[in-house]
Amino acid sequence: MTAYVLRRLWQMIPTLAGVILLIFFLFNWVGGDPAQVLAGKISNPEQIANIRKQLGVDEPFWFQLWVFVKQVFTFDFGRSWSTNEEVSRILLTRVGPTLTIMVPVLVIETVLAVLFAIMVAYVRGSLTDRTIMIVCTTAMSISFLVYIIFFQWLFGFKLGIFPVQGWSESFTKNLVTYAPLPIMLAIFVGLAPQLRLYRSFFLEEVNQDYVRTARAKGLPEKKVLLKHVLRNAMIPILTNIGIYLPSVFVGSFLLEVFFSIPGLGREIITAVNRSDFPVIKAVTVYLAMLTMIINLLVDVMYKFVDPRVSFK
Amino acid sequence: MKHPRFSLALIALAAALAVGPTHAQAKVLRIAFRTAETGFDPQRIDDRYSVGICENFFEPLLSYDYLARPVRLVPLTAEAIPEPEEGGRRYTFRIRPGIYFADDAAFKGVKRELTARDIEYSIKRFRDPRLRSPYEWLFENKIVGLDELAERAKKSGTLDYEARVEGLEVRGKYTISFKLKEADYNFLYVLAMPNVVPVAREVVERYGDDTMGHPVGTGPFILKEWVRRSKIVLEKNPNYRGHELDTRYANPADEWDRAAIESLKGKVLPALDRVEIFPIEDEQPRFLAFLNREHDILDETPFAFIHQVMPNGKLAANLAKAGVKVFREEQPELTYSVFNLNERQNDGVDNPVGGYTPERVALRRAMVLAYDRDREISVLRKGQAIAAQSPVPPGVVGYDGAFRAGAQDYDPPRAKALLDMFGYVDRDNDGWRDRPDGRALQVSYKYNAGSQENRQLAELWVKSMNEVGIRVEAEGVQFADLLKDKKVGKFMAASSAWTADYPDAQNFLQLLYGPNSGQSNEASFRLAEYDRVYERSLAMPDSPARNGLYREMNRLLLAYAPWRLGVHRIYNHLQYPWVKGYKKHPILYTNFKYLDLDTAARQAALK
Repeated sequence: MTAYVLRRLWQMIPTLAGVILLIFFLFNWVGGDPAQVLAGKISNPEQIANIRKQLGVDEPFWFQLWVFVKQVFTFDFGRSWSTNEEVSRILLTRVGPTLTIMVPVLVIETVLAVLFAIMVAYVRGSLTDRTIMIVCTTAMSISFLVYIIFFQWLFGFKLGIFPVQGWSESFTKNLVTYAPLPIMLAIFVGLAPQLRLYRSFFLEEVNQDYVRTARAKGLPEKKVLLKHVLRNAMIPILTNIGIYLPSVFVGSFLLEVFFSIPGLGREIITAVNRSDFPVIKAVTVYLAMLTMIINLLVDVMYKFVDPRVSFK
Repeated sequence: MKHPRFSLALIALAAALAVGPTHAQAKVLRIAFRTAETGFDPQRIDDRYSVGICENFFEPLLSYDYLARPVRLVPLTAEAIPEPEEGGRRYTFRIRPGIYFADDAAFKGVKRELTARDIEYSIKRFRDPRLRSPYEWLFENKIVGLDELAERAKKSGTLDYEARVEGLEVRGKYTISFKLKEADYNFLYVLAMPNVVPVAREVVERYGDDTMGHPVGTGPFILKEWVRRSKIVLEKNPNYRGHELDTRYANPADEWDRAAIESLKGKVLPALDRVEIFPIEDEQPRFLAFLNREHDILDETPFAFIHQVMPNGKLAANLAKAGVKVFREEQPELTYSVFNLNERQNDGVDNPVGGYTPERVALRRAMVLAYDRDREISVLRKGQAIAAQSPVPPGVVGYDGAFRAGAQDYDPPRAKALLDMFGYVDRDNDGWRDRPDGRALQVSYKYNAGSQENRQLAELWVKSMNEVGIRVEAEGVQFADLLKDKKVGKFMAASSAWTADYPDAQNFLQLLYGPNSGQSNEASFRLAEYDRVYERSLAMPDSPARNGLYREMNRLLLAYAPWRLGVHRIYNHLQYPWVKGYKKHPILYTNFKYLDLDTAARQAALK
């Protein structure tokens, strides 16, 4: 396994290099000149040139690329061009609120989706199964934005169960007061596609020979599903969670904007709007690294879920 | 005493109960801002919301009277408004002694008084190349000797703050004299801007690159807590000397003035103990938080909800029943579409709308007449705007309410007639008008693709022009690219806007001054006559004669049509009845230092 992990880590280097190149060229060709935004309402070419010099964007491309590579390996992306805040501080302070929302969403949504998917698979083909699938399909066709607007209006304003928006310095207060509505909303929206997907994983397993054998041996259906089917369906479920996991660290931009959560998603969009390249660079590179590491961990976990899996 | 411990406990309980209500009655104002802040170093920022918050930490030499309309300059940290000397080239200020900065570790436990050196230091900061001040232009080509200092700084990379600048003459602890290169009667407005405020050098040097998070000024509030982009908490500055509402310039016929005087007269301000500001970018949560009474004020009611708030132009019944008041404000700002007057774009592309020949002027004037501004106001802006008649918005010195710009009315038949008269007709029967020389006429209109409002306006532009047979293509670009393209002249027509930095028409009319081409003059409008009149107006104080020159410039704008004038937006600000002393100032963004709260009324309403 060690050799496998080392090989995978080695393979990450060209991927990371590709990410660095892609971000660098996208920013320089499509990103817009940050000096124009920072220069204010009235500026002359000299001032623009001075700002470009201060930011280092007047240097040759190869030098800027070299600085970027150094930043990636030293984990020092300098300061935000628009707020002058240290990029590392931005990431550290914004990731907390994002995780406060997204971790409960991931855990609760996965547990509920797996649970409901097994239940639906248990009654597959019945009226209940078909009704749930129709509800899921309908729920998936409605925009996330519509849900946010409606939930915020209903639970925040009309019923007054939660505050319309807000965030505090206290983790407990956030978790108890401000986070429940966005968490509930995200779970409600995320559950339908997950449920459909996981149901299909379970149904695929249900038709396998080993399930037929288990049933032929007289095992009760519940035991077949929970002991045999669930374990085998865990591989695609894990893969799906692995794909979803990096987004947990970025958060949902819409949720963060609508509920005034000072998280990373909101920060990224602001950085893009302000052509704040240091923040964009840092978030993108860290996210790429995180995705690769999570993919590796998921691959390793396959072995523990299914002993038949071998590392080659 | 038999039970001394019990007695002590009773006293402690009584004390706690006595303290309890006082604490509960702390006057805490809650309000949302519609854009996130960037930081609070006044010389480093230019976004309206951060600057608005800085108004509460820092104090310029001059400010504006809270109630006077039209706006009126008053001394703030200066003892008096100075008379112009040397024909408007010199202004000498004496700072009021006994004004102290808020306490900060940078002062090492010593009370720090405001001095003339702080003013000198802060003005120099605008020209420090390391600072990249977005307001550097305020002091460019303005103060004798300052450009030379800045030039040396550009070469060496550091600004010598110790160097003597002839135009920044410190005469003793409290006196500073500004010597200007040219006469400028609007210079006092510059010194009233919330960015042109003294900061303490010790604070700047102590916090280095982190000055955005350490605003230390002499103003009524201090920064108590800052969760970036989420919550900004201001608290009363213990070192603040206090002030009273000046009622000398109030209008007795104005209900807002009367209410403010009734609530605030005789009180030492600020009355608020704490202000909590929540940056909320989206419109719905901002609106619902106000309706939910989570916030006391809703500044700039979102246009999306205007029909719920003001159906048929009147406050909705449910809000009126809750005692909500609405303050309707025509903002000192202008939206407009700008034509590039260069005959070629900077990338060499032929520009059919550029130039000063009669047929080019006629084309622009026809496009101005063809644009359906009435629809923009009624549909896109939901009636919350007034048609601009000149570049100068209401509330600004030099605004002429009687001036009517018929040449900017929506009039498609006139537009078509003008195009026909100058030979812009369809020569190849493709359904589109061609140029007088037979070449195809195609105009591109650039706009900020990141703004939904801009996108809708661009669509209206295309539709309006198509209706008179002019082929226009809308081109959405990133905001930064739009700024750049307009500055370098890589566009034909584009959307634009300007908000008053100070309340004088000159701040708007400079947008068409020839030498400002490539900077604020996005049209690259170079008309000798306009420049001459503009330069004459610069050397004159506010007077009927200067207003006459402003009118002359307006007429030249209408004649040559470098712009399609847009609108002056109207904002509706809502407050609950427990907010006292509210009046929106057209130039100052915040009014916290004048507000009071009836906490008992709020508690009752929340129950």
